[in-house]
Amino acid sequence: MSEKNYALVKVLLLIFLGIWMLFTLFPLYWQLITAFKSAGETNLTVPTFWPDEWHPENFIAVFADKSNFGALIDSFVIATGNTLASLFLGTLAGYAFARFPRQAGGENLSFWILSNRMFPPVAILIPMFFLFDAMPWGTDSHISLIILYLVFNMPLATWLMMVFFRDAPRELEEAAYLDGFTPLQAFRRVTLPLVLPGMVSVGILCWIFAWNEYLFANLFVGSAVRTFTIVIPTFTNGSQTLWNLQMAFSLIAMIPPVTLFILLRRYMVRGLSLGVVKG
Amino acid sequence: MARLEVKGLCKGWDFPVLDGLDLTVEEGEFFVVVGPSGIGKTTLLRLVAGLETADAGSIIVGGRDVTRIPPYKRNVAMTFESYALYPHMTVFKNIASPLVARKTDSAEIDKRVSEVASLLQIDQLLDRKPGEISGGQKQRCALGRTLVANPDVFLLDEPISHLDAKIRHELREQFHTLDALRKVATLYVTHDYSEALSLGDRIGVMGSGGLVQTGSPRELFEKPGDLFVARNLGQPTINIIETKIAGKKLESPGASFKLSAKQQNLLNGHKSGEISLGIRPQNVRILQGDEKPGRGHQAFKGSVDIFDALGAHSIIIVDIGGTMITALGSPDAMYEYGQEVTVAVETGSFHLFDTKTGKVL
Amino acid sequence: MAVTVGGGASAGAGATLPDWFTSKKKNPSNLIVARWVPIALVGLPVLTLLAIVIYPTIWMFYHAFQDTNMMRLFQHNWSFVGFENFKTVLSSARFGDSVWHLVLYLTFGTGLEVVLAVILALTLYEVVKNSLLRVILLVLIVLPMMLPPSIVGVLWKFMLTPSNGAVNHALLNMGLISTPVEWFNAGVSLWSIIIADVWNWTALPLLIIYSGRVSLPPAVYEAARVDGAGGWMVMRRITLPMLKEVIAIAFIVRFMDAFKFVDLVYVMTSGGPAQTSELPAYIAFQRGIREFAIGEAAAYAIVIFACSAVIITLFLKYLKKVLKAQAIA
Repeated sequence: MSEKNYALVKVLLLIFLGIWMLFTLFPLYWQLITAFKSAGETNLTVPTFWPDEWHPENFIAVFADKSNFGALIDSFVIATGNTLASLFLGTLAGYAFARFPRQAGGENLSFWILSNRMFPPVAILIPMFFLFDAMPWGTDSHISLIILYLVFNMPLATWLMMVFFRDAPRELEEAAYLDGFTPLQAFRRVTLPLVLPGMVSVGILCWIFAWNEYLFANLFVGSAVRTFTIVIPTFTNGSQTLWNLQMAFSLIAMIPPVTLFILLRRYMVRGLSLGVVKG
Repeated sequence: MARLEVKGLCKGWDFPVLDGLDLTVEEGEFFVVVGPSGIGKTTLLRLVAGLETADAGSIIVGGRDVTRIPPYKRNVAMTFESYALYPHMTVFKNIASPLVARKTDSAEIDKRVSEVASLLQIDQLLDRKPGEISGGQKQRCALGRTLVANPDVFLLDEPISHLDAKIRHELREQFHTLDALRKVATLYVTHDYSEALSLGDRIGVMGSGGLVQTGSPRELFEKPGDLFVARNLGQPTINIIETKIAGKKLESPGASFKLSAKQQNLLNGHKSGEISLGIRPQNVRILQGDEKPGRGHQAFKGSVDIFDALGAHSIIIVDIGGTMITALGSPDAMYEYGQEVTVAVETGSFHLFDTKTGKVL
Repeated sequence: MAVTVGGGASAGAGATLPDWFTSKKKNPSNLIVARWVPIALVGLPVLTLLAIVIYPTIWMFYHAFQDTNMMRLFQHNWSFVGFENFKTVLSSARFGDSVWHLVLYLTFGTGLEVVLAVILALTLYEVVKNSLLRVILLVLIVLPMMLPPSIVGVLWKFMLTPSNGAVNHALLNMGLISTPVEWFNAGVSLWSIIIADVWNWTALPLLIIYSGRVSLPPAVYEAARVDGAGGWMVMRRITLPMLKEVIAIAFIVRFMDAFKFVDLVYVMTSGGPAQTSELPAYIAFQRGIREFAIGEAAAYAIVIFACSAVIITLFLKYLKKVLKAQAIA
């Protein structure tokens, strides 16, 4: 391709980006305006692309059942608990695989950990339901989901942390040993600061996966503990879906992850640079 | 302050790299290990530092056997070829790092770091991060980190090989003048032979598996133990002429070299009769006009093949009947390709090596 | 490895090796940490994960060979049926169809997402020069990922409703179609799921690739500029090759989730109409959770898991080879 054509391609790419933004934003726009419509307006035979009447009270109505606010708290507790556990375990294993590949069990072990993310949900759901049912904490608890989500979040955390630790030069740690730092001190002073952006990114990803999980939550919890993902489908009026309330509540539920992303954006963008040769 | 002893050190991965390496560096001695890249020089340093585990042999620092002691308990300082500066810390914090590890109080840290920094002329840079300073400055910073802590042994891994010529020269000067380096045992690794000759109190030439020859720069230059050392030490490279013994002479195509009685004795009982004759270009000169060769010199007629004026001296490669010989010329004399000249070779300076084994006779 | 492994000709093959070398233990301890440290580091995570998955794994492998269903499970009277469940799974047309659906999903869902992510991430970085605009676009692009897949399914199902859905009416208003598209008819519903999935997940690989591009050392680009290389040359010769591993990782992250992908199918179509939008993991879910044919569901799960594990292993091996050839690994 000649350079002149490349200038043309740039224009085409910008157009493509514009189309993509339309594709991305239209459903979000629809979600937003639906949240402000009345229940009747969401079910018109010809949908309105601008609300006839604005009903901001929808955002209050979703909390008519007081426990719906609790659902957000439950989701938060579960997502945060699971993220901390995934990050802690993933960091330990990732470091061991990156620095002592043979002594730590080698590729087979690290692949086994990774492969757990690929379990079809049904293979975990049924047996774990019966197992947790027999456990003191039962199925309907924070801890049951915190543990279950480890099955898909810890492998991801381990694998990504392993890549980050591989990227952090071993020589820096060795320099710290020669300065007189013990391995633990060297890890804290030198390696940890280097992988911190990566850790934050992995944390955000794990948190989002756990926050948004539906299948496991739907089967395991529901009365003592309710995550927001299983609350949303309950906004119905008999057989009629209350789209406006569902969309309003899902918009509210987007606030924590979006805030998290905007606040930690810099870490996220710097952190996910997996396997790039750093200059 | 202590001496470093390495005894019978062995290390290998897929194949043996170090095989029974012996080495002693006295307190205050600057010992340079020189050898081609990939021969195991860095491995030696990493073993002394404790970053690798020896397969056999021992490492003794100041009478204490540290072979099985982890690096952070050895009190050994090392600069890495890649500098290994902590990218997230300022130059000050990088240099202070060994003091922090030794739990020095902060006033003392300030004092020591600024001393070292002014010694290395990097006191302007203390607030910068490694990403913001040049290669030479990075090397000074890395050096500062090793100097600040009063270690027992300094290990320097190719500290100036990645720098440009001017900074190399400056840092090389600094190695001569840094008192700190002259007080403890320093093990310096390089692939650059001129660096070794200029810096080392003693030099160890590394071949595969271990040190081939150890000695002062003078000794190694004047009495190379084998062809490897002879070829690698000294600029310009020594003439090595493949010859056969013919009575009291050594013959190469087109030339025969007379030997003194002492040299003939060395050849007594030699089996294959194949000798590599080493003559330093410094011992070969070109006769001017009808000048006669002096005492102890043998003259050869030949024609100039290559002439290379280098300023302070010139290099002339002369073809004497099919054998090429390099001579060192004075700066003012000029030669042309094909010009007929007479070269005088100082016969007393011959180095005789067995071609098969490469060892000196 | 940062170690210089050298050795002259005499140490090469053929030479007799010294005793210390031939007799040494091939796994020497490391002086920096005690031998138990790596094992301890990896031990806690491995044991935790093992404690969680050992029971489901054994349970699944056990019941895959039993005729377990809901009633038999509660009455504890299931019996051994050998490979019967696997035969049922592998010989059913339903499974065969779902594999074809999976291939379509992997290509036009997961695969397309990564391709789109590469194009969009590089467009965002290389073509959009205003940094504030870039950040705003990035945040907007990432928004769909912040929604639960179950809600994404609900939202798209709502918008794609053929009679009064937003998409059909928007397209009608713009004159792009003349009659409403039946988004949930046979042959179309799978594509509806794929569209929703692309909308939901393209942001994840995009974020990974964009980060990778941000971290490429500027020095390389300065050198290229000095050499007079144009934009397209730089893209083809520098950017894309240096991002190869990042792109591969982004692909693996999405790929791993593709085999177990259930939620959008469950919420949007329940596999219908007439099983035309079923994926293997969804059938396993449907048979196990909805219809309690537990033995068969377990067999499904094993087949899916085995296939995904094999494919991912091969891909990782290939990746390692490519990266080694480039001397990056």
